Amino acid sequence: MSAGFETATSAVAVSQPRRAVIDRAWRAIGPGVEVLSGDDGGPLRRTVKRILDPLVLRLRSNTQYSAPFVDADTAVAMHELIISHAPQLRSAAAWFELLKRERRRLRITTGNAQELYFPVCFELAVTKGAPAQEDDGSAESVLREVHGDRDRTAIEVLNQYVTNPDVVAALADQLGRSWSDVQAGPEITTPFLAGLTTVLGPAQGHTAAVARQRVWSALIADATPYNLGAKARGAGELPWSITALGLSSVEPQLPPDIVSGSDSERPLNRSVVDRVRATLRRAMGRDDLPDIPMLCAEEVDRSCAPWGLMAEDKQATLIAGIEVGACLAPLSESVDIRYELAAQIQARLRKEAYVLHARRYLADGGGPMHPRQQQVIDDLASFARPYLSRLWARLHGRDVWQEPCDDVDDVRALLEGVARSVSLDHRQRIKSMLELQVAG
Amino acid sequence: MRLVADSGLWSTGRQAAQPQLVAVLEVSGAVLSWTVDDAAHAAQITFTDPDRADWLWRVLGEPGHIALAAALHGGTPEAAVELADVDLKPETLEPLRRLALGHWLRRWWPTSQRNGIAALDAALLDAEIAMLTAGAEEFFTDDTFDSDVAALLRPHTAALSAHLQGGDPRVVELVRTCADLADDVGVAFDETDSVAVRRDDYALAAGADGNGRAASSIATGTGSVNWGAVPPGIFDAAEDTIHWQVEAVGGSAKAVVHVELSGPGLAAGITVRLRSGDFSGAGVLDANGVAAFPILDGPHPVAESAAWDHDWRATAVTVGADAEESSQTRERIREFARARLRAPAGDAFLAEVLVAESDY
Repeated sequence: MSAGFETATSAVAVSQPRRAVIDRAWRAIGPGVEVLSGDDGGPLRRTVKRILDPLVLRLRSNTQYSAPFVDADTAVAMHELIISHAPQLRSAAAWFELLKRERRRLRITTGNAQELYFPVCFELAVTKGAPAQEDDGSAESVLREVHGDRDRTAIEVLNQYVTNPDVVAALADQLGRSWSDVQAGPEITTPFLAGLTTVLGPAQGHTAAVARQRVWSALIADATPYNLGAKARGAGELPWSITALGLSSVEPQLPPDIVSGSDSERPLNRSVVDRVRATLRRAMGRDDLPDIPMLCAEEVDRSCAPWGLMAEDKQATLIAGIEVGACLAPLSESVDIRYELAAQIQARLRKEAYVLHARRYLADGGGPMHPRQQQVIDDLASFARPYLSRLWARLHGRDVWQEPCDDVDDVRALLEGVARSVSLDHRQRIKSMLELQVAG
Repeated sequence: MRLVADSGLWSTGRQAAQPQLVAVLEVSGAVLSWTVDDAAHAAQITFTDPDRADWLWRVLGEPGHIALAAALHGGTPEAAVELADVDLKPETLEPLRRLALGHWLRRWWPTSQRNGIAALDAALLDAEIAMLTAGAEEFFTDDTFDSDVAALLRPHTAALSAHLQGGDPRVVELVRTCADLADDVGVAFDETDSVAVRRDDYALAAGADGNGRAASSIATGTGSVNWGAVPPGIFDAAEDTIHWQVEAVGGSAKAVVHVELSGPGLAAGITVRLRSGDFSGAGVLDANGVAAFPILDGPHPVAESAAWDHDWRATAVTVGADAEESSQTRERIREFARARLRAPAGDAFLAEVLVAESDY
């Protein structure tokens, strides 16, 4: 993120890579945290991801700690913060050892132990200190809870709730009214699309970065994304086809069902209940979820909003994603690239395709080695579809949690991150299509 | 250090070698590559996203990392950038090179009964790669194509459990440590009483003997498989393993192609194409590596008499995808493999060492 980087360029001599700062602080803790450390004594990647970043440095509220480079003062503050948690981290390590022993004893083999237990261990360390010398059964009950799938309960409540025909009828009624509330305004779309060129373009230096942010701030207040979304459900002309983009299976877009349908539907066709279910599934460990009736009512309104997203900044980000997605084709040499960011992402995708090639998973030129791979290769040829599906799901999540998309660097990082994860997903599928056939 | 633009990305240099000879590793924000038989072990780093390469300070030092990030930030890769006093610390890259090499061995090891290059034990190789991956996890802040330890181990739980009962202490030691790792990442090793069936990786599939020339054959010939066009673990990695013949059946010409197999992979479903002047044909291999298909002249079957009149010397048979590959590239890989077996180097994998030992 460039915010932190400006610091680095203006004070190169005193800035430090954030990961190096964390590494140093970790080593200063000394013995007692070995199970959270790698062979070289530094923190494990999941120690950073699951404990230090969210629970010790608390990046959500301390954004200054999340920059890739930090100045000397920030480095000192981070160092001290980590060191001051040394007792808790040692206790967390002790808890992890205990949980791993219990995991083995209970013959639990599902899930990645670090991923699942690290945050729990830290929580236990903070609330209970070190584990008791005598086994008091608490480790077992912790494991039972972690593996008990807490979210299933909420989904059960949802499923129960929508078995009531009156509930469904009321939601359908609300949906009918909300749907007709959305009407496109008369504003023209060209200024918005022109603004995207800046947002998705290069910004060298501080002034350009500030200008780019200013343009994005204007774009998320622009009526264009709303209007385009409203037009998607009428006869109005859109610059793209929502079926070709994979956002909808029909054109024009229809109001979603309340209950029926399946997860595999295109984003804008998913039923209201499926959308709520996705929210609950992603809500792992969040306590601030509103109750089910409220979630459903809110989701009805959201599903009626243009692009199925309530907030203007999410709608604008989706439009930016549509423009970027159209430029991406991992297996093609040359595509029409209108935006610098899209060019960057495309160059990465090409490199990632080269990795497949160097690993003998795809032939030169992107052809399949085995007919079994054909389907995934065809999917890659229309990269925009999975790209937009995933982007939409992320934006939907942010919309539910009211997490903003107003920071241009954050939005650009989101557009890049979605490409990265779709590409990884596809490449793993191409790989498994080849490995499948090895008998035994 | 000098950074150049390479297809829209910043890179420490272009990778000149054929992809078949390149060991790659995808880490957070970068793809690293080495030419496998380059004794100098020179690494190329191509940045897919320098901002996400949060490990760079480990290989460049902190000042080097800062200088590089400052030089590249916000700029589109164009003219070369010279970074004074920034140099790779080669020893920090060594574990990554070995990991990349392990991945290369999985995919390009030239197993061949004909050439006497035995298969590497896939389970042991993957187990060792999994250990190396876990040991290099500070380079995988982002999940990448190469960060998934569980995926490496999952297919081999039975084979690795079986290895635990084997006598070789090096094998037992590797599998033991690996079992702990598997446990942590959610892969269950099978109970030790389930015995994996060991496949003979050398076994040639039963079926047509490609060298037999049928009495009715109009023409025969051989060709070589392009490794880059087919998955590994199926075909014998020698040259001239494709045997084709043209026969007359019911008055028209038919091609029968047989490809020598060597490995656990299934040949069934892989495409075969024959081209000879204006004549062509295409078919699909069966599990024995055999395909039979009519030869066509445009849309029409080639009559037996036309087939006899045809000059078949320029016939080309392609197995798998269309791919250019020189036989020198393949020979270079075989030579590399033989050299590693002759004298296992310090970076040898246990699977290689075992093959080298069994050669005596």
